Amino acid sequence: MKYSNAWHLRDIILLTLIAIFFGVIYWIVGPVYNLLTVALTPVGLGPAANDILMGIWVMAGPLSGYVFKKVGSATLGEFLGSVVEMFLGGQWGASTMISGVVQGIASELGFTFTGYKRYDWFSLNLSVLTTTIVTFGWDMIRNGYAKYNIGLLIALFVIRLISTWIFAGVLTKAIVKLLDRTHLMQTQTR
Amino acid sequence: MNPSFKFLLAVLIALEISFTSTWIVNLALAVIGLLLILTSRPTFKRLILLFFVPLIPASALAVAILLQSNAGIHFALVLFTRIYAYVFVGSAATLTTTVSDLVMSLEQNAHIPSKFAYGFLGAFNLLPKIVSEVNIIRAAGNMRGQALHIWSPQLYFKAILASLDWSENLAEAMTSHGFSEEAPRTYFKRIRVRWWDWLVLIGSLVLLQVALFGFHLQ
Repeated sequence: MKYSNAWHLRDIILLTLIAIFFGVIYWIVGPVYNLLTVALTPVGLGPAANDILMGIWVMAGPLSGYVFKKVGSATLGEFLGSVVEMFLGGQWGASTMISGVVQGIASELGFTFTGYKRYDWFSLNLSVLTTTIVTFGWDMIRNGYAKYNIGLLIALFVIRLISTWIFAGVLTKAIVKLLDRTHLMQTQTR
Repeated sequence: MNPSFKFLLAVLIALEISFTSTWIVNLALAVIGLLLILTSRPTFKRLILLFFVPLIPASALAVAILLQSNAGIHFALVLFTRIYAYVFVGSAATLTTTVSDLVMSLEQNAHIPSKFAYGFLGAFNLLPKIVSEVNIIRAAGNMRGQALHIWSPQLYFKAILASLDWSENLAEAMTSHGFSEEAPRTYFKRIRVRWWDWLVLIGSLVLLQVALFGFHLQ
């Protein structure tokens, strides 16, 4: 199936609305993150909360990539989600936007590697893998992950991979399946 | 300061301090950010939140470095102050700018296509409606004895269906009010780039380099 790459007003509004929905959901997740972090900090595993919940934060990317099937839609969806989160008063301030771009490009790569031709379980899994690797690399710099001992580093990576797979992979697939059954997206995205 | 320049500066600063490890510079940036936040006269509650919310990830990262690595107290301090610098610099930009000013500036100064600017603005104004829609979806689920959690596909599915519906309506409403995607526009409110915007942008970045380099040498 061929999809047009042009963005129209309706697509832009739809993408922003989806991003805002996710921004609101991220914002609701915030307290969970705080509780989890507070619980894990005394044993020095506070950052693990970030990895456990990573999947929720990166969902907007693969989902908008999948829904719009356009070049750049995953990046744009994730970035707008982060902008919304920042304006709602997210915890990470200005770095939220940078994380948004990093996460967006990370999940976009999965679709880029398949040439924006395949939108199936394979490209979604590829997107999960690129997201995990790229965002982990970014956290090695920004959050000082690079200094941890190797055992913890591997554990955090595996936790992040599982979390991303569950939310950005399995859950995204379930959402897309529900959407496909409505037959609304085919007329909307073309 | 011009909104586009302000956000560009905030992002560049955040990007730069992600790669450097000088806690004094991070602290100085946080203090400058705080002073700028204070000029916007925030409510007391907001100010308290601004101080306490970053404390959680900041101490989590610092404690983890102390317990799980041998990078030492200096690096823990760097990560701790870095989070505060991120949040205060970011909030200094968001609390002193309205979304519509930022979007208008992005359209007029950064030359983002007007369909993106107004599409985003139109959608963003639905924010309160979206918050209530999320609550409605969850309440509707509860009434059927179906608890919708953060991992339930139905929650997102219904949110996307609502978005589809609203985007169609909003796009039609905008078109019927005379918005056309490619047509040139005139502006009710012009947002200009003045010489001091360039001065503040370049000046701040130069100062930041000097400070980072100076403390690096020590």
